[in-house]
Amino acid sequence: MTAVIEVASLSKKFFGRCVVEDISFSVEKGEVFGYLGPNGAGKTTTMRILLGLLAPTSGRAMVLSSDLAVDDRARGDVGVLMENNGLYERLSAEENLEYFARLYGIGDPGDRVAELLEFTGLHERSTEPVGNFSTGMKRKLGIARAILHEPEIVFFDEPSSGLDPEAQHMVRELILGLSKKEAMTVFLNSHNLDEVQRICSRVAILHRGKIQALDTVSRLTEDRGKSVYTVTLADPGTFPAALDILSTASGMSGLTLDGDRVSMYLDTLPPHEVISMLVKGGIGVNEAQREARSLEEIYLGVMRQAEGDSS
Amino acid sequence: MNRVLVVAAKEIRQLARSKNVLISAVLFIVIFGGMTGPAMLAGRDTAPEQVIDQLLFYLVLVLGIFAGYLFCGQVFLREKQEGVVETLLCSPLSLREIWLGKVAGIVVPATVLSYLASVIIVLVGSAMLGKAVAPSLPVIIHVIAVVPAFIGAGAGLMGFAQLLLGMRENQILNFAIIFGLIFLISFTRELLGPSFAVTWEVVAVVMALAVLIMLITSWLTRFLSRERIVTTLPD
Repeated sequence: MTAVIEVASLSKKFFGRCVVEDISFSVEKGEVFGYLGPNGAGKTTTMRILLGLLAPTSGRAMVLSSDLAVDDRARGDVGVLMENNGLYERLSAEENLEYFARLYGIGDPGDRVAELLEFTGLHERSTEPVGNFSTGMKRKLGIARAILHEPEIVFFDEPSSGLDPEAQHMVRELILGLSKKEAMTVFLNSHNLDEVQRICSRVAILHRGKIQALDTVSRLTEDRGKSVYTVTLADPGTFPAALDILSTASGMSGLTLDGDRVSMYLDTLPPHEVISMLVKGGIGVNEAQREARSLEEIYLGVMRQAEGDSS
Repeated sequence: MNRVLVVAAKEIRQLARSKNVLISAVLFIVIFGGMTGPAMLAGRDTAPEQVIDQLLFYLVLVLGIFAGYLFCGQVFLREKQEGVVETLLCSPLSLREIWLGKVAGIVVPATVLSYLASVIIVLVGSAMLGKAVAPSLPVIIHVIAVVPAFIGAGAGLMGFAQLLLGMRENQILNFAIIFGLIFLISFTRELLGPSFAVTWEVVAVVMALAVLIMLITSWLTRFLSRERIVTTLPD
């Protein structure tokens, strides 16, 4: 695999305050890399350094083996969608795309512009000023603008921020399509954990300028947390009895009740033991399910641990 | 197409659709161009032809710079306020290409408006005098060549400052520019004196001044960086 983004010992200070502190990571070609963290964690600063908009205080940030701060041509291989979409509201969708196409050296952009307008479903309103568009439509057009010149890497800053669930789904599908069909590398800045879990192959979790966790989503969710085991009881009236039986069992923790379901973390206790204990106690079980912890739980755990370490 | 021209063409297109700004600029030019002439032609000892020359010399210049200032607000400042400039900074364009393209996109419409002001001044003056008044050749050259050069120099300097400074500093700068322009419109003739005549030497000096401002601004753009622009974007 080839690393298309390489960050080594990167730090950035503003007026003596460290916003990004000694971070290192790399992103392989074709990866969808999630860069997670709360507001003010240093996500946008890192992205701006990678894009050559900010100079690092120390360390190195290379994209496609180039420093984008000094290499104007290399920026032509990179697509960017900032939070504000980067669109001109008085121009139409078509004019916006044609403008950026010419800036990126596409001589006759008509076909590519038409293809992207069709792809984003905006072709019927292509001549309308972008100022008349909804937030979701602007975001779609912003994505089209970012991939217009078929870049090798696309940077997305909070792509689903402010969108309704349907538009969020559409954005997710678009980004997944870019990675799978177009083989583009995607760098996704986000604090939408559900989105990151669904589309990213690898994530870095940032807290106060430092990377606290860096791994594949599956490894983070499997290794960092105990599995949650959920049992749905046949008769909700048997709840007290079920609780009595399970609370005496060893090798499990975090027993919680939610509607007709009992959830717990299985530390050492095998799942079949839980079922067998309940059945022996005369309690009917409708369904039992083992679930990995969500990225949200992992994220919150990492944040709590980082807060604890720093205090 | 050259990327500087691509940026310029986009700015012109956008300005053509900025109705409020265009209406303000045209009204300002029509009102000042159409009213200052009659006010100055009435009750003066100076020959009317000389008054027309003087007006074309300084008023058209100031009105052109004013139009350029108005357009700068749309082309540089608005783009910074809305954050779109960040996306532009990620494109393969150099900072100088972005700056030059935007300045060119301001110079074209501001020059058209300064020509409009010239035509209004000549027409109103001729109507008041009851005969066609032709400006002198140095003045014609001044309007055709020096005024656009000065608009370019002014827009370049203002655009540079707007990219360099934060929003609050830009507000202060805007007030200073507006008061400066009003002062120039009101008192330039008094500063020049009633007997002031537009000669080739005067035109050459003004042209040299415009070129000097352009050179200084071009040199100053070395101090403009992507980081400076990004860190002065509003939150």
